[in-house]
Amino acid sequence: MNKKKWNLAPYLLILPSFIYLAVFFAWPMVRSLQLAFVRDSQILPVLAEADPDADVVGRLEMQTQVAVVDRTRLDEVLPNGRTRPVYWFKIVGETEGGEQIEGWTHQKNVFIESRTTSETARVTSGEGAKEWTLDYVERMINDYRFTNALKTTLILIVLILPIQFVLAIVMALVLQAQLRGSTIFLYIYAIPLGISDLAAGLVWVSIFTQRGFLNTFLQQIGIINEPFIYLSADHQNWMIVAIVLAEVWRATSIVMVIVVSGLQAIPREYLEAGELFGASLWQRLRHIILPLLKPSLQVALILRTILAFQVFAVVVAITGGRVLTVLAYETYRWYDPGDSGFNNPNMAAAYAGFIMLISLAFAVFYLRTVRTQEEAARE
Amino acid sequence: MTTRTLDPVQRRAIRQRQLRRASVYALAILIALWILLPIWLIGTMAFSTQQDVYGYPKQIAPIPFTTETMEFFVNQEGILEATRNSVLVAVITLVLSTAIAAPAGYAISRYFFAGRDAFRLGILAVRAFPIVILAVPLAVTFIEWGMFDKVYSVALMHTALTLPTTILVVSSVFASIPREFEEAAKVFGCNAYQAFIRVVLPLVIPGIAASAIFTFVMSWNEVFAATLLTIRNRTLPALILYSLNKSSLQFQYAGGFFMLAPSLVFIFVIRRYLFNMWGQITK
Repeated sequence: MNKKKWNLAPYLLILPSFIYLAVFFAWPMVRSLQLAFVRDSQILPVLAEADPDADVVGRLEMQTQVAVVDRTRLDEVLPNGRTRPVYWFKIVGETEGGEQIEGWTHQKNVFIESRTTSETARVTSGEGAKEWTLDYVERMINDYRFTNALKTTLILIVLILPIQFVLAIVMALVLQAQLRGSTIFLYIYAIPLGISDLAAGLVWVSIFTQRGFLNTFLQQIGIINEPFIYLSADHQNWMIVAIVLAEVWRATSIVMVIVVSGLQAIPREYLEAGELFGASLWQRLRHIILPLLKPSLQVALILRTILAFQVFAVVVAITGGRVLTVLAYETYRWYDPGDSGFNNPNMAAAYAGFIMLISLAFAVFYLRTVRTQEEAARE
Repeated sequence: MTTRTLDPVQRRAIRQRQLRRASVYALAILIALWILLPIWLIGTMAFSTQQDVYGYPKQIAPIPFTTETMEFFVNQEGILEATRNSVLVAVITLVLSTAIAAPAGYAISRYFFAGRDAFRLGILAVRAFPIVILAVPLAVTFIEWGMFDKVYSVALMHTALTLPTTILVVSSVFASIPREFEEAAKVFGCNAYQAFIRVVLPLVIPGIAASAIFTFVMSWNEVFAATLLTIRNRTLPALILYSLNKSSLQFQYAGGFFMLAPSLVFIFVIRRYLFNMWGQITK
């Protein structure tokens, strides 16, 4: 067999996916940073004389109010050889830095009431400029909704993840117990894998809404006398409870599947040895199963944390996004060109970048803490 | 054998064992109820009459059973169209994702080549990536390219979302077919291509079909990117999310049930392959 061809084959096979991910994954990433950190602005270069080729004396921002101190009428030659009269204005204005600038500019760059008599004008066009800026990031951090969103997202993670992991490990152990009908249990436990966060949110709305199932149940067993309104701005803690339950209900299955795969990789002899020496279930769990599950748990933890930073539709379904907000909802709100959004992709990109950064930070943190524990154990 | 008399210690041991067994069963059933009950409840709402949807206290079964709430939902403006969009997006995603991922999955499982581990690791990283981040720049880029608000552009986005998972699953499916099968086929006179088509392909088809179904489900469920990338050509979840604030409870319950119902079937079909899909990522 031709040796060279043999070597080329795998590269040709991965090439399509490589190209696809470059175009629809790597490029948007770059574009995202651009949106968050580069301002696509226009800026007006003010010239020393009433001549397009004159030196630039300074630059003015769009919408700057300027005083018109002098004007002149020149003939401009059009591409077809004809001439037309245009005005040049000598304007005085302040840059963003507070510096006073005096110089000439073409009439097309300013808005002026009357070309012949007005004393003031407003800068309306200039040349395209791309500049690095931290404005969007600053604006995001200073937004009070940012702090709220970050706080709520973190609270949700802190509440959801521990419950999820305990429940997932219990589910996995139950499945591993070789019960009769365990394939049916596996199917049932896996159903939420296919349920969207939006649907899950709506499911739990039907339970927590005022005329819902929870109130019906509580009233029937006599705990309450009349329906309680859980999902209102006055009861944010109840909203959190509803979101936590919905997320635990929906997203525990994926942790469960990862844990089951991890359990299947543990050699039976280890568990049998534990049993033989009379270790209780708890002891086996603590000293055999959990240590050997660590790599699986680590992966599940990273995956779940990253997903939890993107929690979105559940929150919108349960809270409407108004009362409680999370990072992904803010991203959506800033981007959304509709009536509830701000149509500002730059701010949305800043939020998206923040979600990425904080997800990465957590992933690195998990990887490092688990490793240092292992190293400490080895020493 | 059981008639042989047991001493009290043995009997107690057996009873304890049975008790433990029973409690594991009880736990298993309890967890199953935890998952099934909410589905049952929203299903109840979806098949109740309008009075019952708004009524209180709630009954926990749809009596009288009616499809009027579901019909009300389906007949809402744009729902059928959005459903069609969703199916279309999911089908395009499934085809694209599987077509692009299958060769890569095969390469990872069958060849050792320089950069293989790096590629695998890269795929794993991309898979865990917060997808929310990609939706914003892609929407902006699609506007620039004149591809905004199109069904196929949502599918392109969803393919980027599902591709890494599909690659990993496909590679695990291929890895589960022993290499010797192909070699045996060659011994019996097949060339590499025939060996692949006649021996490997029939064995991997079920696994790849399962992964394709899961790709479909992921796309069908995806809300965030679909909402950002569309305005008029919304997918079903995007439309429902968008209409939430101004919609009735009937709409919400029926919509919720409508969206989750397919997963009951799909997960059942692919249940045997779940560990192929997710167990992979820990290795």
